[in-house]
Amino acid sequence: MARKDESQRGFSRRNFLKTTGVVGVAAEAVVKPDEAVAQSSTPVMGPGDVPVRLNVNGKQIDLMIEPRVTLLDALRTRANLTGNKRGCDRGACGACTMIVDGRTVYSCSTLAIEVQGKQIRTVDGLANGNQLHPVQQAFCDKDALMCGFCTPGFIMASVGLLEKHPNATPEQIKKGLDGNICRCGTFTRIFEAVSSVKGGQRG
Amino acid sequence: MADFDDFLDQDAPASVPPDSDFAWPAKPSVLGTRVKRLDGPDKVTGRAKYTFDIARPRMLYARLVRSPYPHARVVSVDLSAANRMPGVKAALVWKDPASQNNRVMFQGDEVAGVAADTEEHAIDAARAIKVEYEIQPHVTIEEKALAGTAPQVFTGGNVRAGQPQQSGDLAAGFQAAAHVIEETYATQVITHTCMESHGTVCEWDGDKLTAWISTQGISGARENFASALGIPQANVRVICQYMGGGFGSKALSVGAEGLMCAKLAKAANAPVKLMLDRKEEHLATGNRPSSASRIKAGVSADGLITAFDAETWGTGGAGATAGFPLPYIYRISNRRRAHKDVFTNTGQQRPMRAPGHPQGSFNTEIMMDELADKVQMDPVEFRIRNLPPEAPNGMWASYLREGAAEFGWNKRHATGDKTPGPLKTGMGVSINTWGGGGRGPARAHCEITSDGAVVMRLGTQDLGTGTRTLVAVITADALGLQPSQVRPEIGDSLSGVSPMSGGSTTAASISPGIRVAAVNALHMLKEKVAPSLNASAASLVASGGRIHVQDDPSKGMSWADACKRIGPQPIVAEGDWKPNMSSSTTSGAQFAEVTVDVETGIVKATRILVLQDCGLVVSRLTAESQCYGGVIGSLNFALFEDRILDRNTGQMVNPNMEWYLLAGMSDIPKIDVRLKDQPERGVIGLGEPPTVATAAALALAVRNATGVTMRSLPLTPARVLGALRQSKA
Repeated sequence: MARKDESQRGFSRRNFLKTTGVVGVAAEAVVKPDEAVAQSSTPVMGPGDVPVRLNVNGKQIDLMIEPRVTLLDALRTRANLTGNKRGCDRGACGACTMIVDGRTVYSCSTLAIEVQGKQIRTVDGLANGNQLHPVQQAFCDKDALMCGFCTPGFIMASVGLLEKHPNATPEQIKKGLDGNICRCGTFTRIFEAVSSVKGGQRG
Repeated sequence: MADFDDFLDQDAPASVPPDSDFAWPAKPSVLGTRVKRLDGPDKVTGRAKYTFDIARPRMLYARLVRSPYPHARVVSVDLSAANRMPGVKAALVWKDPASQNNRVMFQGDEVAGVAADTEEHAIDAARAIKVEYEIQPHVTIEEKALAGTAPQVFTGGNVRAGQPQQSGDLAAGFQAAAHVIEETYATQVITHTCMESHGTVCEWDGDKLTAWISTQGISGARENFASALGIPQANVRVICQYMGGGFGSKALSVGAEGLMCAKLAKAANAPVKLMLDRKEEHLATGNRPSSASRIKAGVSADGLITAFDAETWGTGGAGATAGFPLPYIYRISNRRRAHKDVFTNTGQQRPMRAPGHPQGSFNTEIMMDELADKVQMDPVEFRIRNLPPEAPNGMWASYLREGAAEFGWNKRHATGDKTPGPLKTGMGVSINTWGGGGRGPARAHCEITSDGAVVMRLGTQDLGTGTRTLVAVITADALGLQPSQVRPEIGDSLSGVSPMSGGSTTAASISPGIRVAAVNALHMLKEKVAPSLNASAASLVASGGRIHVQDDPSKGMSWADACKRIGPQPIVAEGDWKPNMSSSTTSGAQFAEVTVDVETGIVKATRILVLQDCGLVVSRLTAESQCYGGVIGSLNFALFEDRILDRNTGQMVNPNMEWYLLAGMSDIPKIDVRLKDQPERGVIGLGEPPTVATAAALALAVRNATGVTMRSLPLTPARVLGALRQSKA
């Protein structure tokens, strides 16, 4: 699995540079495309659509996408998983926060092709049917949301934090959620909501 | 420019006769309680579909080309290369070089657009549109425009002076003054930065348009599309079920982006989604204008402001005004004010949460503490001394006294914290007002079916304030049900016409009609039930999920049983806004405490206390959230936000969210909210009042902490250090 990842990463990088047209020339300076091909046994893919297999919320999703497509856009525009949002598209606002192999990531700044073989969790898969995750329930109870556009990112960041620190201190909660922005100004109640979830349960 | 004395006196209490069925109940069941947001579960699970999330069969993605220059003439636009790009289905020119309208007036002004099968293809194709510009001289620096040293760009001049406003006897006022100060105060341009960008999905069926749009006004958007596209309003359906933040910039029109989306969809004969990116948001979808005031003010030895003479200015961008109320709230008999709008080659302002008030508040309140120090009065007492007389819509004196006691204002030291070491603490106070009245038409339709289901339908929209929940709370309260038993249907122009959500008017506009419709529906239900209970319909009431005789609760039946008597034809009743169930104008006061590190210049807000009224509180939980949100918005204005332009190129250097700073969780102080109930006044809006005063209160707390007056925003470390250094020199 790891080896597959590696080879694909090499190609995705080359294809990424080629397709975005940032710089054919610079790319050659780093590694000549022909050499890159020669170094690998995997056939060249791209610059157009390539097969990408993702494991999202426990389900396998097969997509044909360009290597430059981000994880966020791949799920939002190709898999109808629109729960996580695009706010800034450059890893500053956190609305796109997902959990990949247990770590929170800005999915707007992660290429889909790079997270093949990893366990990806989005807000869409957090609840168990109609049974909300304790963090989701806490957000509802405390009115920790207004327009709700940043909410999915905050929820995933909170889940990621609490899985790492089930009894997070106030300082850990603040630091853990500092990568997310809310424009309506719900921070006070998000803090209350996350503080009310202890050990994965509502306190 | 609002004269505060005018509206302070014109308010009347809600005056639907108390015995009327429509009057707000003396003993409400769910009104004013802490009802959880009805759409919370949809939002926390990601099920809520925003415009950004809408997907239609065969849908295309659009991107726009915008001017990189603040001022230029568009010489040519060549779409041919773009049209040959993979997946491209339509492209259009917005700034026609051959037309009169061929100038771009700010960085980000729309030039062309393209639609393709994927967003990535649309981005590529937009890059392939060749635009030739003839760059023109620009003006983006206000000082240069005012000094007359900038190129003349705008017809009639870059600076437009308004009629000075004057009242009383200024000369006599200054003569009566024991002290006179002369200072300049200013606030910066900030942008709305809604989390969901402006955007639209347009789908045509012949000459009928369905538009999903992130808007504060579905009714207005419908009119806007129809008139701009030359089709009947009846042919346009506008949908906005969920929207990711509206702070004024999504209120007044569908924007060039909305119309370009519709035109691209028409040309491509396929649905088109056009969501702006973050850079476009900062450049082209509005902002809060800057403000500046050069004020000369006199104060008598006993603390009465005797004279106020202000020259003010601000920029609202390319050809847009930058007004703000001044002096803010305080009663000053002898005053003069002359205002100038400065036009610059920057994106046009749009209303932003309490338009004008945060600016007016800051420009006035910093002066207040400077004057108070001159006469050695406590800032709270000094404010009370200069307030208009107390009234239901002007409760500042009471709130100031109550807030001071709760906040521990008596522990506030005189200006300048004498504690040794780099950390200085201080307190500040400021007051606010806002209209927030209601208006019609805001027609509500109530439907009760024989299975007991209740639908309340109206053409309003929920910006995130909790409108959907408010609809259910008022309906449930009138029908003796729980809010979860009511289905609010909003966010669709097929549901009727309601006012745009701006100016904190939504709650006051729609609440009366909802109650009237629910009460009318209940009347009809009582008529159906009365015979079975051997009672007159007039003797029945609805409470606790039952319909029963008022004086004999045992004589009744459950809601479900009552509704079984409705029959196949549902009960349908309507209601509209009534003038005396809502009123206008709120008052509030805010206290702030900060810690300033005088070595790093970092300001940390530690505590904020909010005292705020809004008439009859409909939904307490969401009302409090408005207060938290308002405070945090104003804290952002005070400490972080700044639209920074390159002085040479006139281009914005921070059109993103990493250098356009906003507070994060660690920046949030302890915030305490005290909602002051005034149920007798009916419903009044609350979205804007709490976002006015915080900035000034924080700046005054910094002044109290450091002994240095910060007369302009934002209070960034560099600016605080600069002010400290200057004061030592």
